[in-house]
Parts: sequence; C-alpha cells; structure tokens
Amino acid sequence: MQKIIQYQDFITRLCQIYEEMSSNYNLDIYLPTKDLKYKEVQNKEDIVDISLDSIRMTEPVKTFFFRPKEDLLRYEKENFLQIIVGIKSCDLSAIKVLDAMFLEKGYVDSSYKFFRDRTIIISCDCPKPEKNCFCSLINNTPYPTSGYDLNLEFVDDTRFILSSGSVKGEDLLDKYFLNYDAPTKDDIVKRDNLHILSVQNVKEINKEYLLEHKDDYYRVVKESYDINNIWQEESSTCVQCKGCNFICPSCYCFFIRESSKDFENQYRDRVWDACHSTGYGRVAGGGNSRKYKFQRFRNRYQCKFVYRKDNFNFYACTGCGRCIEVCPGKIDIRKVVKSLTKVITYA
Amino acid sequence: MKNIYSPIGAKIIKIIDETANIKTFTFKRLDNQKFSFNTGQFIELTVFGVGEAPFTPSSSPFETDTIDVTIMKTGRMTEVLHSMKEGDVIGLRGPYGNGYPVEKFNGKEILIIGGGVGLAPLRSLLLTLIATIKNYRKITLNYGAKTPQDVVYKYLFPGWKKISGLEINRSVDKCQEGEWNETTGVVTCLLDNIKIDIRNSVAIVCGPPIMMKFTTLKLLSIGYRSDQIYLSMERNMSCGLGKCGHCQLGSYFICKDGPVFTWEQIKDIQDPFE
Repeated sequence: MQKIIQYQDFITRLCQIYEEMSSNYNLDIYLPTKDLKYKEVQNKEDIVDISLDSIRMTEPVKTFFFRPKEDLLRYEKENFLQIIVGIKSCDLSAIKVLDAMFLEKGYVDSSYKFFRDRTIIISCDCPKPEKNCFCSLINNTPYPTSGYDLNLEFVDDTRFILSSGSVKGEDLLDKYFLNYDAPTKDDIVKRDNLHILSVQNVKEINKEYLLEHKDDYYRVVKESYDINNIWQEESSTCVQCKGCNFICPSCYCFFIRESSKDFENQYRDRVWDACHSTGYGRVAGGGNSRKYKFQRFRNRYQCKFVYRKDNFNFYACTGCGRCIEVCPGKIDIRKVVKSLTKVITYA
Repeated sequence: MKNIYSPIGAKIIKIIDETANIKTFTFKRLDNQKFSFNTGQFIELTVFGVGEAPFTPSSSPFETDTIDVTIMKTGRMTEVLHSMKEGDVIGLRGPYGNGYPVEKFNGKEILIIGGGVGLAPLRSLLLTLIATIKNYRKITLNYGAKTPQDVVYKYLFPGWKKISGLEINRSVDKCQEGEWNETTGVVTCLLDNIKIDIRNSVAIVCGPPIMMKFTTLKLLSIGYRSDQIYLSMERNMSCGLGKCGHCQLGSYFICKDGPVFTWEQIKDIQDPFE
C-alpha cells in the first residue's frame, strides 16, 4: 500500500506512534540528524528536525542488531522494540548481508535474531549523495528497493510517498496512515524523476572510478588475487587500525570471549573482530593464515567482492563509503579496485 | 530457542598421558545423555573462565556414552586443560561441520596418513572403518611422529596390527640408535614403496600444516587425483557455526563447509596450508 504524506504529518504520526507504543513497549526510536549522528528520542519534543535528505549516518547500522560487545547468553530485554528512521539503501544492503550471515546460513544467531525481530525500519531515499558515496559502482541504487518495513520516497521538498514493505510496515500503515491519499500519477512521475537525478548524481561523483570495459568488481578482485605486489603497493599506507572493519556496516566478524565462573555460572560475550588484525588468523601453535599486512588487506576485498558474492550472489560491500572516510592512510576502495584493473588481462 | 553459543556440561572421567605434551581425555555428559556425532566432525570445548577451542573427537561415533578427545598442550587454554583432573567439569558444544564421507569409501582401498597429534581424528575414522572393515578392500595406516616418544596411542597399535585387512606402517623423523625398529624419515617416505591400486583408492590426510602440504604433493606425484585426497583443515574456529569469520578459507568456512575437504575443493586457494 502507498500513501502520500507531508513531512509535518509524518512528524505528527511519529509522535503518536511514540506515545502509543511507549505504553506497551520499552521503545527506542532513532532519528537521523544533519550531523550524521542518530538521535535517540527521549521524549516527544525530540521528534523534530528529522534530516531525511542526509546520507547514511556515520554509525554503521549493524550496531542496532550486532553490538560492538554483547552478552551471548543474556541479551534479552523485556518488551524491547526499536524503530530506526531514515535508513538509506546502502545500509539496507548491509542488513541483507548480516541477515544472510546470522539468520539464513545454517544456524540462527539467537541474539542477532532477538534484536532484528524487534526492529522496525523506516527507510528513505538518498537524494544528495556525497563524495565518498559509490552505491552506483556496485549495482546499488541511492533509493531503497527492498528490505524495509516502511519507506519514504521524496516527491518534492515537503512531500513523500510512504510505502510498506513487510507485514510490520503494513500494520503501521493501516493503523496510523490509513486516512491519507494514495499518490497520483503525477506524484509517481516526480518521484521517478528524483530517483533518476540521484542516480545521475552518484554516477557523476564516481565517473573517474568506472572500470574499463564495463568490467565488474567480482572479476577484477578475483583475477588479481595472485598478484601479490599490487596488493602490497595498495596497502602501503595501511596502518592496520581496523577502522574500515569496524565502521563497515556489513563486516560481521566477531570473537567469543569465555569468562564463566563455572558450568553453573556461565558468562560469555562477543566483541567485533577485524580481519585486519594480526591475530585474527592465528591458531594455537603459532601458525597464521594471513601473516603479512598485504594478505589481510587483500582478504577484506576478497571477502566483500568475491567470497560472499560466491556464497550469496550479492556483494558484501554496500557502497556507503564509510571506510574511505575513516581511513588515516587515505585508502579509497574505489581507487584500489580501479588500480587492480591495471594488472589483470583483458581478452 | 536453544542458544547456539551455550555449551553443555561434561565431566572428565579418565585421562591418559600419551606423550610429554599430549593427553587423551574421556568425557561423560553431566545430564547422562548420549553423544552423537559423525567421525571427522568437531566440537567446541570450553574450559570455563579460560577459553573455548575446537577439537575433533578421537573416539568411535559408535561409542555414545563417552567421548574421547586427544589434546596437545600448545596454548593458554590447553595448558589449563592439561592441569585438570578426573571429576573436573568442562563445556561442550557441537558437533559441527562435515565429517569424513565414509559411505563414499565403500569398496575402496583406503590410505590414511597421519602426522603427530593429527592421528587423533584419524583414530575416530579408523575405529569407524574397523567396525565395518568388510566394506573396504584394504586399509593402510601410515603414521609419522617426530620421535618414538611422540607416538600417540602406543597401547592401541599392537591390537590394530592383528586386524586382517589393516596394514600399519610407522615412521619417526629421528631416533636414538636401537630405540626404533621401523622406518626412519618423514611420513611421506612411507608412501615410496606403497602397494596400492591408486585408481580405486582414497587418501585421507591429517597432521601439521607442513606435513599435509608435502603429503598432498607426494600423493599427487604418485598418481592420486585431487578429488581422491581428503584433508582435515584447521583454523581457529571460534564460533563453529559459520558466523564469526575466523576459519575462512577462500569462500569456505572451514567449520561449516569442512573441516574435511578434498584437495579438488581447495587447490586454487593460495597457500591453503598456511
């Protein structure tokens, strides 16, 4: 179902949702702000100045379901519910990767599932991509196409098309937005034009990073695997800070820490881990599958563009650009992949 | 929903000193339920308050009241485990991964090559095969250890040597004069004079990475195809569930897609044994 809604009406309805649902749930609502930090709603008055036209927030979306440090045995919170507003298409792709890792690939991760099931995602178009955004390079779009409960699409500066994408979203739409009109044909044309414009914007930003011969990231990264010196060269300014791992919304690696008192009093938690860490591949006895920096650096690219693509048929990179922003060595994932094209062969 | 990260409790009921730094522990579940696993699958063993690490049981899956795990003292967690006594309680999760595809070995000559403590998972396999020995044309166990003192399961070899259809060859890398009357040299030298119908054979290898590497090369050089060679791969499987990422080997997660792989599956990965 689709509705057309004014920005101010959306605020009003969100306040209503907050008030009504707070009485039944231990509810957290997170809103996007201009300085790219999520604002946690403490009272109704906080529901103002929602920056829906910003790019993704700096904090990776994974922190809502897969926390930097979390108890693996006692994670449940009574009546917990969280609503995250303004999630962009890139972060929806990250959730797709995390869902595949934690929910669909064999075993179900109990703690991830707990938080994921108790989350309502209200996503939004990304009309103003910035210099580090590159969703277009990896077959992604600056507007959501799936993976949301509710989605907001710009029609003009103040109006949106509100759509539901799940049962949870449909219920909310029914309950709080039923009285609004359906979008007209004209609204839809306006929305489509804005989508086209946003794609053009992100393509313009990334024109110098387009690959030769319309090649794709999978082939380039896979074919260059064995050429060690290009990886050594590209990782030369990497200081192994692991910032790219931690800020990446789809990096899912973790390490389990066992600190029980005894069998009756078990305690174990997990912390985010990073494949850039020297000890990540170390085994008892001292062996290490990725001893050298260039191997660890290369692994991150292989994981994002080859290994997980082999597993899931989609990239584990979302084009969000956070790793470019965070890197003290000024490493730009787009430039790296572009450089790799110099060492592979074209028929 | 059962929490996939929570171990069950088990009690140490027996400890055997195999070598100076290898012990075999026998565990029984605190809830007195039975164990269930396929040979070659692994478990995660917790020393409460210290750590958790992956091991492959060395007992037969047909033995379900207890489970044996042979463990070398090589790090922080195994150090504490080695100091534990009968009656102490540890945690277990699993079993995880895919074990040896025993059903595919029917009618074949099975060549097993083990190095050092790598005989532990192979003992479980061997016990499984011995229980159904008529299904195979021949089983050959080639085992190499550094010195005669480093040989594990010394007390089992005399019994195994009496089993018809099972041939055993052993080597040690080095020894004092007069202390070893079998082959001296690295384990691959046992393959020099092997009499086996390679076309109707499978080779199963487990040992330290360097041993697995050179054994694989040797097997290929004597005519084994890459899909006839089964390898037990190891990484630090932290979660055991295909999630934490630590055991990634190319597109594979060793814990979920292995730990047993054919060489055919992993031959294109750069330095898989590193």
